[in-house]
Amino acid sequence: MPEPLTLDVRDELRNGGEPLPRIFQAVSRLAPGQALCLLVTFEPLPLYAVLGRKGFDHKAVRHGEGDWEVLFSPQVPQAKSASPAATISKESSTAGWPKPSTYLDNRGLEPPEPMIRILDALEHLGPGEVLEALNERDPVFLYPELQARGAAIHTEKVNEGVRLMIRRAG
Amino acid sequence: MAVLSNRLSRWTLPMFTCALVNFLAAQGLILAGLTWPAESISTSGTLAAVHLLVIGWLLLLVLGALFQFVPVITSRPLVSQSMALVTLIALETGMVGMVGGFFSIGAGYPTLAMALPLGGLAVCLGVLIACWNIGVPLIRSRPLPLPGRMILTGLAFLILTVTLGFSFALTLAVPVLAPYLAPLLAGVGDHALAGLGGWFTLTAMGVSYKLLPMFMLAPEERGIAGDSVHILGTVGFALAVGAGLARVWSAAGPLRTAELVGYAAVAIAVVLYLWDVAKIYRTRKRTVVEAHNRAAIAAFAFLGLGSALAIGFLMTGHLSVGAPAIVFLIVFGWLGGLGLTQLYKIVPFLTWLSRYGSSLGRGHVPRVQDLVLERRSYPWFALYFLGVLVGALFGLLGSPRGFRACIALVTLATVGLVIEYWRAWRGHYAHLRHGESATPPFLPTQRG
Repeated sequence: MPEPLTLDVRDELRNGGEPLPRIFQAVSRLAPGQALCLLVTFEPLPLYAVLGRKGFDHKAVRHGEGDWEVLFSPQVPQAKSASPAATISKESSTAGWPKPSTYLDNRGLEPPEPMIRILDALEHLGPGEVLEALNERDPVFLYPELQARGAAIHTEKVNEGVRLMIRRAG
Repeated sequence: MAVLSNRLSRWTLPMFTCALVNFLAAQGLILAGLTWPAESISTSGTLAAVHLLVIGWLLLLVLGALFQFVPVITSRPLVSQSMALVTLIALETGMVGMVGGFFSIGAGYPTLAMALPLGGLAVCLGVLIACWNIGVPLIRSRPLPLPGRMILTGLAFLILTVTLGFSFALTLAVPVLAPYLAPLLAGVGDHALAGLGGWFTLTAMGVSYKLLPMFMLAPEERGIAGDSVHILGTVGFALAVGAGLARVWSAAGPLRTAELVGYAAVAIAVVLYLWDVAKIYRTRKRTVVEAHNRAAIAAFAFLGLGSALAIGFLMTGHLSVGAPAIVFLIVFGWLGGLGLTQLYKIVPFLTWLSRYGSSLGRGHVPRVQDLVLERRSYPWFALYFLGVLVGALFGLLGSPRGFRACIALVTLATVGLVIEYWRAWRGHYAHLRHGESATPPFLPTQRG
């Protein structure tokens, strides 16, 4: 396994720069299997999804105020046990998330009640806390609202419906 | 978090608005002196009114709804929001061209008649773009649930319908082509059957299979009954339309048999569907049925009535006599009725999402149902469906005056309902209840 490529964009961010092009350049230069170690001033939530789609998992460590280290490593191809439609994942995994502090069973509620309950509960979470919800349907109208609030979400299809893990912005 | 692309369809409410304006315009045309359904459907004025109804009203309504609905059932976005606007513009201008073309042919202005195929071409383009916009997320989401499969089937019939329609337009408006295409005109009934049956009815059935259980909390899984409705409906409409078109060129006996088998399959599909819909109402977990689904029962009844009449006239060999009234029942009673009733939920729902979505969890937010006052809607729904029922009767009896009087009632009811949609959109009742500001909410736009 090659050493991770390290990219430090903290100075650029502090000077008000836009480091995204450099980050994408670095990603395109990675050797197969090589990880990217990114040094940034905040947790780059939007980047998780963008690189997630390119097949990268992320692991973030906060070293101090305005000092984050995020390791993007290529995902190991998964065995084809589930059908492609079985997972509707927005965050590739909930690794590193705390245990849910709130649980909502939203089965048996007509739309848009599940969405109202989740957003209500989200407002009562502390920063970085997680709520788990069980919905009968994929709550498609909820996602833009979560995105607007900077929350991260992981969804998976289960027998009873859709299980959602939602983490409030930290 | 960039994957989260399912949001409000930007052009759905504008499409609904255009659709309702076109619906009222078509009613205005009928009131202004068209005698349909009391006379043959092939007079130019009637053809203009019918296309104003099916393209201007029903097609814009259904496509507007699908632009919102398909991303919900597939969890995938449309290919392009702006292409939905292109569809709206192409269908609206194309439809206006077609209506103008029909009137020009009727009035004997062959030059202006070119507006018919040109308008038809624009409609075809708008339809193809819409099929691509909706079809791609559907095809990528296979295996699809029943509603998605029924919509895909419907789209295939839609393409067949507009292709046939376009060749008719060429026949009527371009004299050079007429000798080659004229025999096709005998298939005008198959064009109508492909459009009203294969496209609109199968699609409406598919969408209702999702929306009814969703808002009444009934099991969504329809099992063998749902699959049978889909398969019998598809095979039935395909056989009836296909054999009907083939009979334009060949008088072979088996073709007539195939056509009749097709009608029989469709009849069984309709009966099964209505039985299954009744089951959804019976097995619902919500005790209260909201106004839109109460009123929709009348639309389902009109599907049954229209189909029964069609079978009756077919068996007595007088289908062409009953056809105008049957088409009227299906367009106004079943498809238009279902559309008007479901709008009474969809408009408040989309308004609520676009207006209050960002405030959820952050203080007081009215409920979706606070945007409507259901008891205000019931008299309009009752008047509408009563007008359609009695109007069809006058049509069958050949009384244009009685028919138009009924259309006047239908128009009054439509205007009443439009005012209720408008009030939901304006936040009128939410204002009365909670002192919410009654300013028009912004059109759903893409945020973020």
